[in-house]
Amino acid sequence: MLKINKLNSGYGKLQVLYDLSIEIPEKGITVVVGPNGAGKTTLLCSIMGIADVSSGEVEFQGNSIRALPSYLLARQGISYVPQMGNVFAELSVRDNLQMAGYLLPTAKAKKKAEQMTVMFPVLKKFIDRKAATLSGGERRMLAVAMGLMKDPKLMLLDELSTDLAPIIAEKVISEVARLRDELGITILLVEQMAKRALEIGDTAYLLVSGGVRFAGKARELLNEPELCNMYLGIKQPAAQNIPSIEGSR
Amino acid sequence: MKSQSTQRNLKSLLLNSEILAVVAILMALTFFLTTRGLPMVLTILVDFAVFAIITMSLNLETGFTGIPQFGRVLAVIAGAFAVGAIPGRLLAALMGLPAGLNYTIDTVQFQVSPELTAALSGSWMLSLLFLFICLVIAALSGAGIGWLTSRPAIRLREAYLGISLLAFGDFLMWVGHNWVPLVGGSTSVFVPDPFRIFGGARFEAVVIAIFLAALLVYAYLNRLTVSPFGRALKMVRDNEVSASAAGKDIVKIRTQSLVIGSMLAAIAGGLYVIYTGTVTAMGYSRLVWTFWPWAFMMLGGIGSTAGMLLGVMVLTIMRTLITVYRFEVFGFLMAWGINPLWLEFTLMGAVIIGVILFLPHGLVPEKVQSILPASRVNSILSKGFGAKLQ
Amino acid sequence: MAPWLATGLIYASALALAAGGITLLYMSTRTFNFAHASMATIGFYVIYTGSVLGGGTPYRYFPLAFLIGGLLGVICYYGLNRPLLKRRAVEITLMMSTLGYDLILLSVIQMYCDYLTFSRRLFPRRVSMSIYDFELLGVSAATIILPLVAIVFLTALHLFLVKTRFGVAMRATIENPVLAGASGINADRVYMLAWVIGGGMAALGGAAMSMAITGTPVLGMNSIPFMFAGAIFGGLHSLYGGILGGFVIGMTEYAGVFYLSQIFGPWVLGYRMGIPLLLMAATLLIFPRGLAGIPWAALVRNLFGKKGGIRV
Repeated sequence: MLKINKLNSGYGKLQVLYDLSIEIPEKGITVVVGPNGAGKTTLLCSIMGIADVSSGEVEFQGNSIRALPSYLLARQGISYVPQMGNVFAELSVRDNLQMAGYLLPTAKAKKKAEQMTVMFPVLKKFIDRKAATLSGGERRMLAVAMGLMKDPKLMLLDELSTDLAPIIAEKVISEVARLRDELGITILLVEQMAKRALEIGDTAYLLVSGGVRFAGKARELLNEPELCNMYLGIKQPAAQNIPSIEGSR
Repeated sequence: MKSQSTQRNLKSLLLNSEILAVVAILMALTFFLTTRGLPMVLTILVDFAVFAIITMSLNLETGFTGIPQFGRVLAVIAGAFAVGAIPGRLLAALMGLPAGLNYTIDTVQFQVSPELTAALSGSWMLSLLFLFICLVIAALSGAGIGWLTSRPAIRLREAYLGISLLAFGDFLMWVGHNWVPLVGGSTSVFVPDPFRIFGGARFEAVVIAIFLAALLVYAYLNRLTVSPFGRALKMVRDNEVSASAAGKDIVKIRTQSLVIGSMLAAIAGGLYVIYTGTVTAMGYSRLVWTFWPWAFMMLGGIGSTAGMLLGVMVLTIMRTLITVYRFEVFGFLMAWGINPLWLEFTLMGAVIIGVILFLPHGLVPEKVQSILPASRVNSILSKGFGAKLQ
Repeated sequence: MAPWLATGLIYASALALAAGGITLLYMSTRTFNFAHASMATIGFYVIYTGSVLGGGTPYRYFPLAFLIGGLLGVICYYGLNRPLLKRRAVEITLMMSTLGYDLILLSVIQMYCDYLTFSRRLFPRRVSMSIYDFELLGVSAATIILPLVAIVFLTALHLFLVKTRFGVAMRATIENPVLAGASGINADRVYMLAWVIGGGMAALGGAAMSMAITGTPVLGMNSIPFMFAGAIFGGLHSLYGGILGGFVIGMTEYAGVFYLSQIFGPWVLGYRMGIPLLLMAATLLIFPRGLAGIPWAALVRNLFGKKGGIRV
C-alpha cells in the first residue's frame, strides 16, 4: 500500500535517514522498532511531508506522494497520530473530533464523532471538556479516535504507549490490533514497547541509525535473540512471560 | 572531501560579492568626485562613518549576542542629547556665562553661543579638551542607557524586549522635544564647535576625525570578535543553555554587550551632533536611527563586522544617488506633483525585502570560526572517540 | 460625557482593533507585523478620500477600509510571509520583512498625499476627521459608533472562531499546525485569512483612530508603539488578551493624562505617551509574558481562599 524507496531525509542540514526502503502491505500492522534516535519518528515525518526529504520515492497506492503537504495526504486517506501534540489542547473534545473529521461533510462528521464516543466511551463523558484537561491515557484515546474519524486507509501511529502507565499502554496497543481486525485498517506502528508491538504486528522493520537492520515477519524478529537483546532490550525468549490482554483488563 | 569543495566554492562566491561591492563603491565615489566635487564625497564619507559606528554597535548586540535591539535610537539619543546639554553648559559656567535652564534658548538666540565659539576657536588646548569631554560624556550616558536597558533585557524574551526598547526610544525623543531645558525642544540647541579652530578646513577636519573614529571602532570590534569575549557573545547567541553549562555568566555577558554597544552608538550620536553643530530632538526618529541601521546590517550580513562597512557604504551611496539625481531620473513623477524624494523610502523597503528574500546572509556572510585549525580539531576528535571506543 | 472619556473611548477602541490584529498575526504566523503602521494609515486615507471625494459620513467607508487593509495583508502574505515561512525563517527575519513592506507602503502613502495636494487641491497631511462627523444623542457620533463598531466586529470575530468550522480550524492550526495539517486543514488558507483579518483590523483601527487624533501620513508610524504595547501587554498568546491590552493602553493614556494634568499641571500633556508605556513596562517586569502570563486562576483562588479562610 505504501512503498518507500531509497529515502534520504532529515531536518535542514541534519540528515537522519539514509537510503531507507520500506514496504507496507495492505490490511496489516507494520511495526517499526529500534533504539532511540534511529529515525523512527523521522520516517513518519518524512511520509507526512514534515521532514525535509532530499531524495528517494514515497508511493501511496501507486501514486507518488513525496513532498505533498500533509493536508493533501489527509485527503488521500492517510491519517497520522503524532507522538507529542496529538490533540488540540485548547479545543473541546467535541471540536477535536470535528477537526479530525474536517474533510467529511458536516452531517457525516457528526455521525462519525458519535461512533467514536461509542467506541471510546471515556470520550463521551468529557465531550465538552478541553482536551488539555484529559489524562495521558484519555488523550491518547482521543488521538486514536481522531485518527479514525475520517475512515483512513492507512494510519500512522507514533509511539502510542509513551508516558502511559504500563497497564494503560497495554490496553492502547491491544486497541490497535482491534483496529486491524475489526475495521481492516492498514497500520504503520512505531513503538517503544517493542515486544508487545511485535506480538500484535504482522510485518516488522528494525531501524538502526537511519537504516533498516531487519525486515521480515514480526514474529521472526522476536526470534532473533541477538537483535532483540542489542537493540530492543528484550532479553527473554519471546514465548515466555507474555501478560495476557484479558489479564490487564 | 565534499564539504571542503563546497566550502571553497562558497568562499570564491563570497569573495566575489565582497570585491564586487568594493569596486562598485570606489567607482561610485570616483563618479561623485568628478561630477560633484570633493564636498559631496566628504558628505557621503561622514554619513557613512556615523552610521557605520552605529550599525557596528547594533551588530555587536544583535549579530553577536542575539539581543533584538529595536531601540538603537535610545543610545544615539543618549549621546546626542548629552553632548547637546552638558559640555556647552560646563564651558559657559566656566566662563561665567549663564548656564541654567535658559541655556538652550540663549544659544539659539546667539546670546551665549558666540562667546563659547570664540573661546573655542582661540585655543587648541581648549578645543581638544572640549572634544574629549564631549566624547566622554557621550560614552558615559550611552553606557548608562545600555546598563538601564540591560535590566529588562535579562528578564524579557525576544519580541517583548525588542518592542519595549522601540517604544522607549520614541518616548525619549518626545521628552527631548517637550523639555526645553534639555536640548531646546522644537527650537534646538547650538553646540559649541571644537573644530572651529581649523578655520576654513573645519568641514574636512570633522569628516576626517569621524572617519578615523569609525576605523578605530572597526579595529576594536574586529579584535573583539576573535577574542574569548567575542566567542562568549556568540555562544550566548547560539545557545544560552550550553553557554551557561560551559560556565559563561549569561546575564553578565548580555549586560556587557549592551553597555559596550550603547556606548559606541552614543559616541556616534555625539560625533554627529558635533558635526552638525546643533541638536533637534525630533531629528532622532526610530526610522533613521534604528531602522536604517537595521537595513544596513541586514545588507552587510548579520554577524560580520566587515559586512557592516560594506552595507552602510552601499546604501549610503544609493541614498545619495536618489537624492542627487531625483529630478533627472524620476522627474516624470513631478507631473503628478509627486516629490521623488519619497523614493528613498521605497528603496530602503525594497532593499530590506530583497536582502531577506534573495541574499539572506548579506553581502559578507558570517564565517564559522574555530579557535584551533580544522586539522587539529579533527585529530583531537578522532583521538577522543578512539579512546572511548577502546 | 467628559471630553477626555469620549476621545479616549474612540482611541482605545481603535487600539484594541489594531492590537488584536497584531496578536492574531503573531499567533498564526509568528510575524510581528511592522506594516500595521502603514496599513492603519491607509485605513485612515481610505475614509478621508471617501468622505472628501465621495461625500457622506466617514462611517460609510469603514467596510472599504477593512477590505483594502485585508488586500494589503494578502499581498504581504503571498509576497513575503509565505515564502519566508516555507523557509522556516526566524522571528526577527519575519519581523524585518514586514518593516520593508511598511517602508514601501509609507512611500506610497506620501506620494498619494503629494498627488492629492497637487491635483485635487486638498490638504491631506493634517486632517481632523472629526469635522466630517455628526452629532448623536448630544455627543459626537464617533463616541458611540466606533466603540460599537469595535464591539460588533470583535464579537463577530469571536463567534467565527468558536462557532464556525473554519474558525475552529483556524484555532486548531494556530495551536498545532502539524496536527491540523494531518487532519486535512490547509494551513495556507488559514494563514491567508489571518492576514486578511489582521490587515483589515489594522486599517479599521487606523480609520477609527483618525476620528480621535489628527490624521497625518505618519499616523500609523507614530502610533505603532502603542499597538505593539497593547499586543505585548495582552501577552501575544491570546487574541482576547491583545484586544484587552490595546483597550487598556488606550484608556490609560487618556485617563492618565487627564488626571495627572489636574494634579501636576498641563506640562504633563507633553509626556502623555510615557503613561501607557510605563504601565506596560511595569506589567512586563512583574509578568514577563503580559496579561496572559498572569496566573489569573491562581489569583482568584488566592483571593477566595483568603475570604474563605475565616476558619483560621
